[in-house]
Amino acid sequence: MTKFTAWIKTIIFYEILVGMKATLSHLLHYKPITLQYPHEKRTLPDSYRGMLALLRYDDGTEKCVGCDLCEAACPSRVIKVFSAEVPGEPTKRYAKEYYMDMTRCLFCGLCVDACPVDALGMTREFEWAVYDKRQLRLNKEQLLAIGDRSYPVREKRLEFQHPNVAFFNVAFKGLPEKES
Amino acid sequence: MTEVGIKLVFSLTQIAVVLGIVLLTVMILTLAERKVLGWMQDRMGPMEVGPYGVLQPIADGLKLFFKEDIVPAGANKFLFSLAPILALVPALIGFAVIPFGPNKTIELFGYQFQPFVISDINIGILYILAFTSIGAYGIILGGWASNSKYSLLGGLRSAAQVISYELNVGLAIVGVLLLAGSLSLVKITEAQAGGFWHWYVFAFPFPQIFAFVVYVISSVAETNRLPFDLPEAESELVAGFFTEYSGMRFAFFFLAEYANMILVSCIAAALFLGGWNAPYPGTLLPESLAWVEGVMWFTVKVYFFLFLFFWLRATLPRLRYDQLMRFGWKVMLPIALGNILVTSIAAYLFPR
Repeated sequence: MTKFTAWIKTIIFYEILVGMKATLSHLLHYKPITLQYPHEKRTLPDSYRGMLALLRYDDGTEKCVGCDLCEAACPSRVIKVFSAEVPGEPTKRYAKEYYMDMTRCLFCGLCVDACPVDALGMTREFEWAVYDKRQLRLNKEQLLAIGDRSYPVREKRLEFQHPNVAFFNVAFKGLPEKES
Repeated sequence: MTEVGIKLVFSLTQIAVVLGIVLLTVMILTLAERKVLGWMQDRMGPMEVGPYGVLQPIADGLKLFFKEDIVPAGANKFLFSLAPILALVPALIGFAVIPFGPNKTIELFGYQFQPFVISDINIGILYILAFTSIGAYGIILGGWASNSKYSLLGGLRSAAQVISYELNVGLAIVGVLLLAGSLSLVKITEAQAGGFWHWYVFAFPFPQIFAFVVYVISSVAETNRLPFDLPEAESELVAGFFTEYSGMRFAFFFLAEYANMILVSCIAAALFLGGWNAPYPGTLLPESLAWVEGVMWFTVKVYFFLFLFFWLRATLPRLRYDQLMRFGWKVMLPIALGNILVTSIAAYLFPR
């Protein structure tokens, strides 16, 4: 009997008919999963690893202290930091020049993890196609601008976040008065 | 005006109208194929050009028209230019004997004309078979003249495949011809009038259902459509025989493929599904408007077959080459031959 049904199924192309029923049911219950990309865009998750950006504190000063750890962490040598002393404050350093060659970046996020002062962030921007690839070598001002438009809520300076911790950076000017 | 002049003008008008309708249908098909395939695969198909992408065929046509026409180095220029024409002309020329509507005559300037068939010759179906075989030459020569190994392999595959499946198409049709007793498509269609039980798929002495299945499968193979698209297998041969073609020559091959699809659909509708005959006896509309109903039923049947082409393409993967040959020679051919045997016995026992 099973042999007979198998034979009948071969005769009437049973498997092919099952497949054609499946495609027809998709046609009749048409529910596209397509998103018409340039017209409508996906909601990206918060953890999306997009364009890199340099961040600022809420008083407008740069977070970056020029420690070069991001440059050391970067696996594809995207980042180039030229560190220098802050003029007039001999113990404090900052990034005098900061370059990112985004043609090489693989968006691993290691530089963000490596940064001790959270000066780097990853944004949800990804539409960075340009006609000239030299436009993808970004300097400090461009990276700060990306950070400004992607992170509207800025952090306070570290010393204002926790007023009771000891300050190691003794040369810092304008410290808040300790409540005695 | 002389008789010849009037008849010539009428025929030329007819040819222009039929050619226009066929090319328009090709345009609709290119869009419909992408749309139907998209819907079956939970996609949208073309959406950008015009509302819901309806102007996509025009954009495609313009693009093909303005593309550079490249002749590869080392190609045989004469055959390379000839091949697309050899593919396209037989595909279009077959429409000369297809009856699109009821077989009635109208009188114009005192002469009799058949408005729905360009030329009702008494060997209609043989004529179509002969010319579609010439279409295979276009593919083979195009593959050979390109001076490219992929094109050559595509052409060779096409030669073997088209010859194998032409045979099955011819043998599947023989059963119908035995029952109808004529090779003229108009006479065959007229013999199926009066309800769907008179159509040759279900007709009395011996239903041609096996011949119908053989014909549909073989015609899919003959037009090089999926799942039998081995001559142009993208994943194996880049694009098969038209790998090296571009611009208008590529467009000719493209047109030929779709015109062939329409042609085999028309033959299937005329031979097996009663052509312009409605599935109920007679017509619903009054006598003067009966042709509208006839043309409508013919169009519905043809479009059903064209939809079947897309449906098969969306469902089935490509066959392996040995499977294709085994299926053609060891399965389809015996079925077609057995069908001829049984049909002739039935036609002998129950003469019309």
